[in-house]
Amino acid sequence: MNFELDEEFRKLEELVNHFVEDHLYPLESRVLEREARGEGAHITAAERETLDSVSRELGLWGLDAPEDVGGMALPGVALVAVNEAIGKSVVPYVLPPDSPNLSMLAATVTEAQRERYLAPYVAGKTISAIAISEPGAGTDPAAMATTAVLDGDEWVINGRKIWITRADVMDFAILMAVTDKEKGSRGGISAFLLDAGTPGLRIARKIPMIGGNATFELELEDCRLPVTALLGEQGKGFAPMQLRLSTRRLEMSTWCIGIAQRALDMMLEYAPQRHTFGSALSEKQTIQNWLAEAESNIHSARLMAYHTAWKLDQGQSVRREISMLKAHATEMAWTTVDRAMQCYGAMGMTKELPLQQMANEVRLMRIYDGPTEIHKWVVARDLLSNR
Amino acid sequence: MKVLVAVKRVVDYNVKVRAKADGTGADLNNVKMAINPFCEIAIEEAVRLKEAGVATEVIAVSIGDKSCQEQIRTALALGADRGIQVETDGSPEPLVVAKLLKGVIAKEEPQLVILGKQSIDGDNNQTGQMLGALTNMPQGTFASEIKVEGDKLNVTREIDGGLQTIALNLPAIVTTDLRLNEPRYASLPNIMKAKKKQLDVYTPADLGVEPSAHLTTVKVEPPAERQAGIIVESVEQLVDKLKNEAKVIS
Repeated sequence: MNFELDEEFRKLEELVNHFVEDHLYPLESRVLEREARGEGAHITAAERETLDSVSRELGLWGLDAPEDVGGMALPGVALVAVNEAIGKSVVPYVLPPDSPNLSMLAATVTEAQRERYLAPYVAGKTISAIAISEPGAGTDPAAMATTAVLDGDEWVINGRKIWITRADVMDFAILMAVTDKEKGSRGGISAFLLDAGTPGLRIARKIPMIGGNATFELELEDCRLPVTALLGEQGKGFAPMQLRLSTRRLEMSTWCIGIAQRALDMMLEYAPQRHTFGSALSEKQTIQNWLAEAESNIHSARLMAYHTAWKLDQGQSVRREISMLKAHATEMAWTTVDRAMQCYGAMGMTKELPLQQMANEVRLMRIYDGPTEIHKWVVARDLLSNR
Repeated sequence: MKVLVAVKRVVDYNVKVRAKADGTGADLNNVKMAINPFCEIAIEEAVRLKEAGVATEVIAVSIGDKSCQEQIRTALALGADRGIQVETDGSPEPLVVAKLLKGVIAKEEPQLVILGKQSIDGDNNQTGQMLGALTNMPQGTFASEIKVEGDKLNVTREIDGGLQTIALNLPAIVTTDLRLNEPRYASLPNIMKAKKKQLDVYTPADLGVEPSAHLTTVKVEPPAERQAGIIVESVEQLVDKLKNEAKVIS
């Protein structure tokens, strides 16, 4: 048994930490000011351009993308270290391209789609979104109502999709739709590549979310796609979607580990400095318990993340592990950030410190990609069915 | 021109070290290790010389147990062409290091040897100077700028009174000061490439050196803790405290 990350991946982690400290942290006060002014927690196009050029120069693009489209094809365990480092900052920047759609595309594209969608995506030239949830079907994909019907050599799409991030800036989306109502999630759901600007596709509304984020609702009315827009096999969109969700959940969990680690580091910085009633906060048992519990929770979540990523790398099923990890990492980050805010007192309530924005992000992640309760249900059901 | 650069594995500069309870040394358990910052500057300078077309090959050498190969590979990722490890138990004292480096110089015959002025663990600031004495090569210590001109090397040194520029005949030894350059980060592709670069391992016997210790560590203890300072309200109060509490003026 070996619990140590390979030397080159430790060096990669160090490199990403340098990137976060030198290039993301300095932008944080601006991002927090923008959010406080009601403009959303965003970075400007110029700031993104600078970050993109630095991260590209450091070779941090396409880390988990296949080599034949210019990626580094790093294993999932390396990405755990990378995403933990990236998660520490509240600056909304991920190393291009966004991994989850990448894993789904890489697993399904045809040669033509590889050229047209995957390669420019890996090269950071395009932005993608994913459209799964519907107003009446969130966690339960079997309730999906958006349909795709073959009409001659075109697919005709009708339905509504909701909670789509980046729908306003995307070049294309991966869209999930029902192609066989009878079969449902067992052979009846297909994936499609939907270009922005396709006639019949409309952004119905922008939905402001907590923490200065936003998602979108999309309307699809007789939206006609060529047969070549089908991603993967007809009726078999569910499995690659699950793979995409696993990648996303792993990514989110590791961001949460980074967020919790930052909150713990901030407590360790502040608690010895702040004196109340004759002693430092760090000398009080309650604070000490919080520190010890934070460290234990972060450590356990990190071990779970590495183990889950390692199993994924081996091609093994991680259904139970990913659910345990997603529930544990998001919930422990929530508690850790909350305690850090409590430890900082009124300072922790300000929009001058990143803590409240970290809390906002974790709050969203306790819901996104499956609420905690659903993941616990998955674990329990899995345990009970194995008896 | 062949350039030899010495690199040392030390505790990362961000780590606050603690003395071991039994006073035998610093507690290195669970402590992050890194390349000595002055050695990183030395590597960076050598790589810049290569990029400028002045140097043809950069060799990174480290002395220590197998774990120091990690720092050699860091140097390779930063742009060194190949590495040499001289295998010893633990971290030998400066004179032994200088003798071993002299052995490597005899094998490789570099035109320029760049070392950090000191390592941030022992802070000895001795190896470069001892190496100069042992090899009879000219030395330019505490360099803040170096320039190769033909078979001469101009070195700007940071000294107490300001800056001093000296000309050395090559081959020569340079030790780096903090302001010589700002080292780059190794990019990911270079980190991956470093794995495939040549790394030779020598024993002290291969270099004809018998490592013998002249120094013993008697005790390692933390410096005495200082009392927190206070801010006085007025000059009168300051004078009063200096007179009556600190008793440094009368």
